[in-house]
Amino acid sequence: MSLSAKARMQFMKDLGFPAMLSLAKATKGKRKPRKANPDFGPPLKCAARLKEIMTRHYYLSRFAPGARPVAWVTSGAPVELLRAFDFYTIYPENHGALCGAQKMGPELCVAAEEEGYSPDLCSYARVDLGHFFSGKTPAGKLPKPDLLFCSNNICQTVVYWYKVLAHRLNIPLVLFDTPFNYGEITEANIAYMKDQILEMIPVLEKAAGKAFNMERFMRLAELSKSTSQLWGQCLETMQTRPAPMTIFDAFVHLAPVVSLRGLPVAQDYYEILLAELTDRVERGIGAITNEKKRLMWDNIAVWYKVRDFSELFAARGMNFVAATYTNAWAETIKHLDMSHPWESLAKTYSLVILNNNLEHRLGLMEKMVREYAVDGLVVHSARSCKPYSLGQYDLKRLLSHRLGIPAVVIEADITDYRFFSEEQALTRLEAFFEALEAA
Amino acid sequence: MSPAQLPSRGDYFKQWRGGGGKVCAVFPAQYPKELLWAHGVLPMEVWDPPLAPARAQGHLQPYICSVVRQGLELLLAGGMDEVGAILFPHTCDSLQNLASLVADYLEPPAPSLFFYNPKAPFAAAAKGFYVSQLQALEDDLALIFGPAPEGAMEQALEWSRRLSELYARAYARRAAGELGVGAAEFYRLLRAGEYLHPQDYIPLLEAWLNEAPAQGGPQGQGILLSGVLPSPPDLMETLDGLDLRVVHDDLLSMSRRLLYPPPGKGGPLEALADCFLAMPPCSTRGSSLSERLEWLGGLAQSGGAQGVVFSVVKFCEPELFDLPELRRGLKEAGLPSLVLEVDVNQEVGGQAATRLEAFGEMLS
Ligand code: SF4
Ligand code: SF4
Repeated sequence: MSLSAKARMQFMKDLGFPAMLSLAKATKGKRKPRKANPDFGPPLKCAARLKEIMTRHYYLSRFAPGARPVAWVTSGAPVELLRAFDFYTIYPENHGALCGAQKMGPELCVAAEEEGYSPDLCSYARVDLGHFFSGKTPAGKLPKPDLLFCSNNICQTVVYWYKVLAHRLNIPLVLFDTPFNYGEITEANIAYMKDQILEMIPVLEKAAGKAFNMERFMRLAELSKSTSQLWGQCLETMQTRPAPMTIFDAFVHLAPVVSLRGLPVAQDYYEILLAELTDRVERGIGAITNEKKRLMWDNIAVWYKVRDFSELFAARGMNFVAATYTNAWAETIKHLDMSHPWESLAKTYSLVILNNNLEHRLGLMEKMVREYAVDGLVVHSARSCKPYSLGQYDLKRLLSHRLGIPAVVIEADITDYRFFSEEQALTRLEAFFEALEAA
Repeated sequence: MSPAQLPSRGDYFKQWRGGGGKVCAVFPAQYPKELLWAHGVLPMEVWDPPLAPARAQGHLQPYICSVVRQGLELLLAGGMDEVGAILFPHTCDSLQNLASLVADYLEPPAPSLFFYNPKAPFAAAAKGFYVSQLQALEDDLALIFGPAPEGAMEQALEWSRRLSELYARAYARRAAGELGVGAAEFYRLLRAGEYLHPQDYIPLLEAWLNEAPAQGGPQGQGILLSGVLPSPPDLMETLDGLDLRVVHDDLLSMSRRLLYPPPGKGGPLEALADCFLAMPPCSTRGSSLSERLEWLGGLAQSGGAQGVVFSVVKFCEPELFDLPELRRGLKEAGLPSLVLEVDVNQEVGGQAATRLEAFGEMLS
């Protein structure tokens, strides 16, 4: 790491970025505010803070090379290990969501397809590879990684995807292999994961050029834990009627727990968000003005449709109050226990929804339907994501049957809207609305 | 021994069951077949059952590959009603979820067994973990089928060693141009290992290798065939018809799990773990692209292949992700390639044949 790069990064952190932010605020002040939609309650005040945090994260990332080791990380990887070495972490999936929300999905996917990547592959991967080949990104510029850190607890796809990056960049790929839990997690699986963590530490030491410090790791892991717990508490506020935020808000406010987990900034952010949500609960302020029906979402967001969907549902007095996706970064953190750091880290990351059998998912969803008083279920069959989507037809059937709630499947994709038929989705949703209103 | 003398899957299954034999249906791809043999169980592999898609459509989205679709179709059509267990090795996201879908939601006709294959780059802990998986499978098999008799495991390893030798011989003869048969015959014989018990299969394979001509078969350009499995069958016939010589393959169902050093003489579970770790590089195991490229280059060289045909099952993520870098690396090494996206059991069609023909001409 070079001293001048470190100094430059520090300068940008202390002066460069704050100056840029002030300038942006000054310009924004002159813009006309968007007209309020009567179907929604007042917007969350801390949305501005969120934007600031994420903009800062991406902005400063371009100054990281040379100043700090840079890692590209999958959303389900035990990032606490990297935090202990001070890696600057970039989450290509979060970047994919950003590109999706900015409707850049197809453009970047095409850039990957031109290099031979099939349109049938996960579009987070195609967006990332498209960015890699073309340099295009709404985030300005992403730093090249020194290391790739990947866990297959969300899918095998990330292994194939990161292998391509490792090959192209000729850099190390560290894999945390988390055996899929077909039933209960086994002692053999935990032992295997623990051994891998222990093996990984010298590799990370070499990549980061510094020794592992257990004390620092424990401190940062605790920080990560409290951040996830705060996120979980934010989600739990949606058990109230009316819910103080919608899942569409949560999709956006999820970014720090995914990308900045284990850093003080993420914990601070969720303290503010939780305070605001609690205040709204106390004052009976709902995310939508007329909450008549409460819904649950299954699978990743349809990023390019978040606003349209939120308006469509709000106009009918329907609010999404729960999602398996947003819940994933809160659900298993209870297992993290610093008296058994390695075993508990293994459990925390192995027990996430996508690394567990479908019976587990069904049970979890049933529980959520009850706790959040859900009236209906919307299942996003995401063409990109086989581990999330294969099994959903039966999941919908079983859940709907067991709990007597209407459910609908919409076929879409997370970022690549070339695979989304609005007409077909709306037809299905109209039938769902009718069933829900009649229920 | 001619391929025509091979018993069909259906006939063999009936005959085996008629004799009171135990059967386990096995989904793709890599699994310790020796453990099943040791328990007197016949593994019946389910790769591409020739059924019209009907029932599976209600359970699977259209973007799921045809291997998963056809496997589920077989199960739903009653094709597994007489098996004692169904084994799902962990191969890819789609098979992982299929396993759970079947076991958790679909009330299968037999108990489901799972087997997690660790993923590369293999940690030092991978061997011990693999052994623990073998032990767990062994326990499950003992519960369902009863314990393995004394000496059965040693016998199973012996069969495995013999088969390894025969596979290696078949591939080496073909690569050296000393096996005068086309791709259709070669793969018909080798695919019989997906359903025949080694006691029956070993003599058939031996006889075939002894009797197969050294000369004959396609004489045109040499190609390396890569992908998941030698299916649809008419692809092999098309290659033969175009006089293209398949000199080697890198197929998941074939060389990637047939060509590895035979089990050693130590403890049986450790020996099987060593076999697994020594298997050729494979997309589904997470092997690095440089390893795969080096391996493909070696295969092409050993048989003098002039080009590579990738026959990729549509929607197969592990294969599709590796493809662009493999093609790029092969091209740099002077090996042009062609990609065909196929659905198992769906004819490759005239367009694919035309592309193959043009590819063959380009190689000459
Ligand atoms: S969308 Fe699904 S397949 Fe793609 S990276 Fe995420 S979990 Fe993996
Ligand atoms: S063809 Fe590919 S995606 Fe389908 S089951 Fe086989 S490895 Fe998995």
